[in-house]
Amino acid sequence: MSHGWVQCRIGSFDLEANWSIEPGEVLVLFGPSGSGKTSTLRAIAGLLRPQRGHIEIGGRVVYDSDSGVSQPTHRRRVGYLTQRYNLFPHLNVVRNIGYGLRDWTSTVADERVRELIEVLRLDGLEQRRPWELSGGQQQRVALGRALAPNPELLLLDEPFASLDMELRRIFRRELRSTLAESKVPVLLVTHEREEALAFADSIQVIDQGKPLAQGNPLDVLGQPGQERVANLVGVENMFQLTIESRNHHDGTMVCVGGGLRIEVPLDTGPAGVIEPPTGNDESVTVGIRASDIILSHQDIRGSTARNRLPGVVTDVELMPPGYQVKLDCGQSLRCQITGAALDEMNIRPGMELWAVFKASSCFLVEALTQTDAPT
Amino acid sequence: MALSMRRRFFAQPSAAVGVGAGATLLYVAFIGLPVVALLIKAAQQESFFSSLTSGTALTAMRLSLISSAISMVVIVLVGTPFAYLLARSRSPWLRLVDALVELPLVMPPVVAGVAMLMAFGRRGVLGPPLEDLGITLPFTTAAVILAQIFVASPFYVRSAKLGFQSVATDHEDISRTLGVSPWWTFWRVTIPLAAPSLLTGLALSWARAISEFGATIMFAGNLMGKTQTMPLAIMSAMETSLDTAMVLSVLLILGSLTILVTLGIFARRQWQGAA
Repeated sequence: MSHGWVQCRIGSFDLEANWSIEPGEVLVLFGPSGSGKTSTLRAIAGLLRPQRGHIEIGGRVVYDSDSGVSQPTHRRRVGYLTQRYNLFPHLNVVRNIGYGLRDWTSTVADERVRELIEVLRLDGLEQRRPWELSGGQQQRVALGRALAPNPELLLLDEPFASLDMELRRIFRRELRSTLAESKVPVLLVTHEREEALAFADSIQVIDQGKPLAQGNPLDVLGQPGQERVANLVGVENMFQLTIESRNHHDGTMVCVGGGLRIEVPLDTGPAGVIEPPTGNDESVTVGIRASDIILSHQDIRGSTARNRLPGVVTDVELMPPGYQVKLDCGQSLRCQITGAALDEMNIRPGMELWAVFKASSCFLVEALTQTDAPT
Repeated sequence: MALSMRRRFFAQPSAAVGVGAGATLLYVAFIGLPVVALLIKAAQQESFFSSLTSGTALTAMRLSLISSAISMVVIVLVGTPFAYLLARSRSPWLRLVDALVELPLVMPPVVAGVAMLMAFGRRGVLGPPLEDLGITLPFTTAAVILAQIFVASPFYVRSAKLGFQSVATDHEDISRTLGVSPWWTFWRVTIPLAAPSLLTGLALSWARAISEFGATIMFAGNLMGKTQTMPLAIMSAMETSLDTAMVLSVLLILGSLTILVTLGIFARRQWQGAA
């Protein structure tokens, strides 16, 4: 079990972080750049000294401000993969991977390096220097180098930042299977939602040096309960609406505003973040993910979807992996569709379409309050 | 002003190229002609080899090699950790020291020699205490070495500092997370990555030490076999025979070139620029 908390002051930036990683688990630290993610990793690795804190790695206390314990980086047994990989340019692949094994007997060390070269599919590249490798190969060598000395915690800092989009998809799957095999607990830092979803056993959202939300990745990223988190994870549609009526029997309520009229669940918000509103005139913020909306030519009658809104296409925009269609249904609704769907339906601006989505695709978002508004 | 001139150059690239080519030719001729002239004149004389093997030449050569080699050892041993500290520390005091490193570069060597006499001479600041210890520095081989260190060390320290600054602290950090202590990280990562700059600095510094004249003659004098290095021997030879002076000059040029080229080859690592 690796866990801890730190308080750091870096220039005028205040960082308060805490984390807890079960054995074999991947914890994703999710936040925009400058939110303090990398500093948290550096504090855990002992490369940045916190003002206060308590850090345990694999059950060992490596830092404790109260008792004055502070182990140097080279005794902490963490593997650290940086954004740019930082392979040693004066060493070949074998020597890069074996760099941390100097204290091992040479036969055992050689065996370990061979094993990693095989697992990471680097055969044939043993004698290459870092600049003779592709971005993906560099990442695998850096990963091998970090894993070789059997770290008790692996820190990954935006491991895909220096790869292009195509490669990310491939290497994401690769890295995940390598991590699953090695069973090392991982703390991964990213600002990409897809990456977070692909890796996280559990997730923590951090912004401006403070943890905002924590929990199951699908809950936290899929239907975030707080507006700041929703903004960070990129919820495409958020509307300020007023509750018109409530149907306790169905567990839904009807919300209206700005020409929209949609049915949303009564008891929403993950893990009771939000108190269900009680008055009828209350205003709420409703979030809907663009990918949860179906577009159709005709009104789909006789379906279970509670929301069917007619609208006019105002804009079609390339948004990998597909397209984003803006539909004016009174308010502009963003819908994510595939390229195939775009072609088959021949969607273009001016076209009249229906947007269809379930009531349960809608979720309430706790609006920014004065206290946690960004300063 | 400078900006408008630059614009004009870009607007008329052909004119800029023409002027540049002319200036280059002029410059190459200006630097190259004396060197070539010296080589031709030296080659024409019949007594080349006898001058070469004369006692004066051999003694001066040996002294130059030994003294400059000792200077280099001292400069590397002290200058390397010093340069590393300059490169990594952000203390304002060290920035002051940093500026001080450049001082010998702009100080006339003769002045440096006088200054060293004032410090270590018999009537200098440290003269009496040194004398009590039975140490006399001026007009000894030790003085030759001190003079060389004084004028040549900035070349090494400056280049080494830039080299260390170019080594990403990320590489050092990664090494430490892999269980390697800061001390061994320095040897296994920092030094190899900074090596090209260290060698370049060493070459420049060595060439400067071998050609040192002004500070040496003021502080160490011109005693054959003791303080008469190659440049001093050349000056002495000029008074009697121009031929010997020329031969010694050619030797000095070849020696300096050898050092520059050899260290330059080591310094050009493949990963320079490829990273």
